[in-house]
Amino acid sequence: MTAKSTVDPKLLEILVCPVTKQALRYDEDAQELISEAAGLAYPIRDGIPIMLADEARPLEGDQKSD
Amino acid sequence: MANTSSNGTKGNAETDFGFQRVSKEEHSGLVAGVFDSVADRYDLMNDLMSGGLHRIWKQSLIDWIKPRPTTRLVDVAGGTGDVTFRFLERLNDLTNDQRPQIATICDPNAAMLQVARERALDKGYVGDIEFLEAPAEALPLPDRSADVCTISFGLRNVTDRAAGLAEMHRILEIGGHFLCLEFSPAIVPVLAPLYEAYSDRILPWLGEHIAGDREAYEYLVESIRRFPEPDALATEMAAAGFKNIKCRSMSGGIVAIHSGWRV
Repeated sequence: MTAKSTVDPKLLEILVCPVTKQALRYDEDAQELISEAAGLAYPIRDGIPIMLADEARPLEGDQKSD
Repeated sequence: MANTSSNGTKGNAETDFGFQRVSKEEHSGLVAGVFDSVADRYDLMNDLMSGGLHRIWKQSLIDWIKPRPTTRLVDVAGGTGDVTFRFLERLNDLTNDQRPQIATICDPNAAMLQVARERALDKGYVGDIEFLEAPAEALPLPDRSADVCTISFGLRNVTDRAAGLAEMHRILEIGGHFLCLEFSPAIVPVLAPLYEAYSDRILPWLGEHIAGDREAYEYLVESIRRFPEPDALATEMAAAGFKNIKCRSMSGGIVAIHSGWRV
């Protein structure tokens, strides 16, 4: 169980931000689920999305491209 | 527990942790500590504490769900996965080669989810279950995305019960079924003295010697006594929007299954 498991992208598509209930963007490289509306990035650890606002990374204030 | 918002109220609002009054923020942390501490021994403790009865209670829950391969199950506070595994096992009995819908286990505790995933690997269910670390009060699932939502021995530990019930109602499809399996304080009188002695003496002893955490199991006993009686819980469920609410008591009122529908 040391291998890093990944989440099925189809499953990630149905998840919503627990704060805003809006769709999330999956950043595969960073293994994060981004909520633009809430300004939060939810980490995915060992294949389990951590959907807790308290544990999410606040997004930087600067504009993202597209 | 009135006047709660769906965002999980912050600030100085208080709630029960066993018999102590604590702030809602402290409560989440204290409950997390309990489950971090007991996750490894949780399933063994369930067998020892209930004399195996929890298996029958969970089977009764699955009976009431009547799973079909198309049923989208969300198991909130799904812990080590017991209810979800039983749900999938029931579908194995029913179907030939039709794959069931993927079931979702939500739990706010990473240690419990790790145990669930290891058990899923052992049972060959790893592709059938999605694991999400999330509390009942703020589910990361869209409106009307589940056909059945269960919470088993979990609602007692939810910090903001009204918010949790509202979220579980929100994610249910119209016609979706909510079922809560939980210890009940409404014990039949003839059993009450025995149950009380068991709760006060034997459970904490088992907690100390088997799970290595006496206080976690003292918390369990106190949280059961604090949990609303079936009628009061029915009122809370109705306030969250559930209809056709029913309650089935089992084992002399030690546990109950509370059922409600989104219509």
